[in-house]
Amino acid sequence: MSEAPLQPRPRERWGSRLGVILAVAGSAVGLGNFLRFPGMAAKNGGGAFMIPYFVALFLLGLPLMWIEWTMGRFGGGLGHSTAPGIFHTLWNKNRFIKYFGVIGIFGPIVIFVYYTYIESWLLGYSLFALNGAYETCTDQATMKAFLNGYRGVASNEYFSSIATAYFFFLITFVLNIGIVYLGIRRGIESVCKIALPLLFLLAIVLVVRVLTLGTPDAARPDWNVTNGMGFLWNPDWSALAKPQVWLAAAGQVFFTLSVGIGVILTYASYLTHKDDVALSGLSAASANEVAEVILGGSLVIPAAFAFFGPADTTKVAESVFDLAFVTMPMVLQQMAWGRLFGVLWFLLLFLAGLTSSISLIQPAIAFLEDEFNLSRRKAIFLFAAVTFLLTQACIFGLAKGVVDEFDFWGGTFCLVVFGTVEAFLFAWVYGVEDAWTQLHIASDITIPRFYRFIIKYVTPFFLMLVLGGWLWTAGIDVVLLKGVEPAQLPYVLGTRILLLGLFIAIAGLVYVSWRRRTREGRV
Amino acid sequence: MTLGGWIFMLASWLVILGLFGFSLYRTFRPRRPGRRGD
Repeated sequence: MSEAPLQPRPRERWGSRLGVILAVAGSAVGLGNFLRFPGMAAKNGGGAFMIPYFVALFLLGLPLMWIEWTMGRFGGGLGHSTAPGIFHTLWNKNRFIKYFGVIGIFGPIVIFVYYTYIESWLLGYSLFALNGAYETCTDQATMKAFLNGYRGVASNEYFSSIATAYFFFLITFVLNIGIVYLGIRRGIESVCKIALPLLFLLAIVLVVRVLTLGTPDAARPDWNVTNGMGFLWNPDWSALAKPQVWLAAAGQVFFTLSVGIGVILTYASYLTHKDDVALSGLSAASANEVAEVILGGSLVIPAAFAFFGPADTTKVAESVFDLAFVTMPMVLQQMAWGRLFGVLWFLLLFLAGLTSSISLIQPAIAFLEDEFNLSRRKAIFLFAAVTFLLTQACIFGLAKGVVDEFDFWGGTFCLVVFGTVEAFLFAWVYGVEDAWTQLHIASDITIPRFYRFIIKYVTPFFLMLVLGGWLWTAGIDVVLLKGVEPAQLPYVLGTRILLLGLFIAIAGLVYVSWRRRTREGRV
Repeated sequence: MTLGGWIFMLASWLVILGLFGFSLYRTFRPRRPGRRGD
């Protein structure tokens, strides 16, 4: 990295308003919409789960979405696309706040590393669905054996090594890097403009197929699609008295909207002050909800119920991997045109994964471009080299609990901490008056005034409640390594050291960048 | 599916489609030049 004074290059911009909405919606619509939400709703009160879900959506999800869009556009106007710079401009009297912003680069990198590998399984399975590779697997045990063989967890009659999985990983990795290399407009925006409508089309085709399944087995008349929808939607009022159900709903809303990652900050930074953020944020969030509640809620659970009945559906709904790679392939291959629907299913999930994973690359690239004036080519190369090495730990350490560690720190812990910090920063440090004004610059809608109160008081404290409740119920146990098998302990600890090293390295880059800015009088 | 299930499903779909429809309508409706916001 040269020591010449930085000459900021012209900022990239989105080509159209629809492009940025689809890119943010693409980032939000992921595997969780089709796999996590239905299982979560079914086991947490069915229809009654939607009461805490909507409370969380309106008090936590939408406000946080607006906060991130507004902060991103604000930061972009000052030449910052990532959280360290944006946090620093919002609270420039605090020397340390930029280091909280490191989470907004670290989190996306960590999620990208394991998410891309899982995404590559979907590409592989699209081909397996087409050539009928798993058609000999007619029960859950053999389908699981096929999956374990593919992932290299076991060597069996289906796969003798991890080579096939590695091949599809390489294709997926290069595809992701290639799309982002093309830039915001030519890469991310162009792909999302095609992938998102296609994803919705595939989901609608599959939903129509599932909802017209009727009663697949005449000998079991109760195992039908209507009762399958009932399995998901029949309300269990007693669930509303359980705090963990409210916590689960808040967590689901938080994770599904892709808030607290740093991606929306970066995407919104490529907007100008003539671009709306209030309506665009609402559009992206509502598109995600359509994909999750209407389409996602009408796929796996009713299909699994119609073929396997209530007892097995309860069991398979516990694991999103089982739903995607074991249950659905079995269901789909029992239908007419099973291969075709199998391809559509895995293609749907692959597109959902791809539009999310490309969004995870951009914060790190933007940081290197903005703060070190690296060319996009160099930034992408550096990102690809680091993440490729880190992914090897996930690929070869899958059975040792490495992916779970990546998911815990990058995909859960960092999100909630980051969301809480940015909500307080926006509403309390920057100030709700200025924040409200920023939010409404060039706005195409007027957000109801009671949201001022919600953004200042409800959302930050709701987030603290989610953070505290999550640490209490699950987080502390994971942090303290409870339940980790002794054989996995070295791998889990090794992963933590690796992740800590990555965090320190990014914090070091932030330190170097700010020291240079101070020397050049640009802070 | 019970009556409660139908009510929750249809009410949830209605809220989400309402939000989605509203945001689509406001995004794509023709605007008079020079005017922004409400």
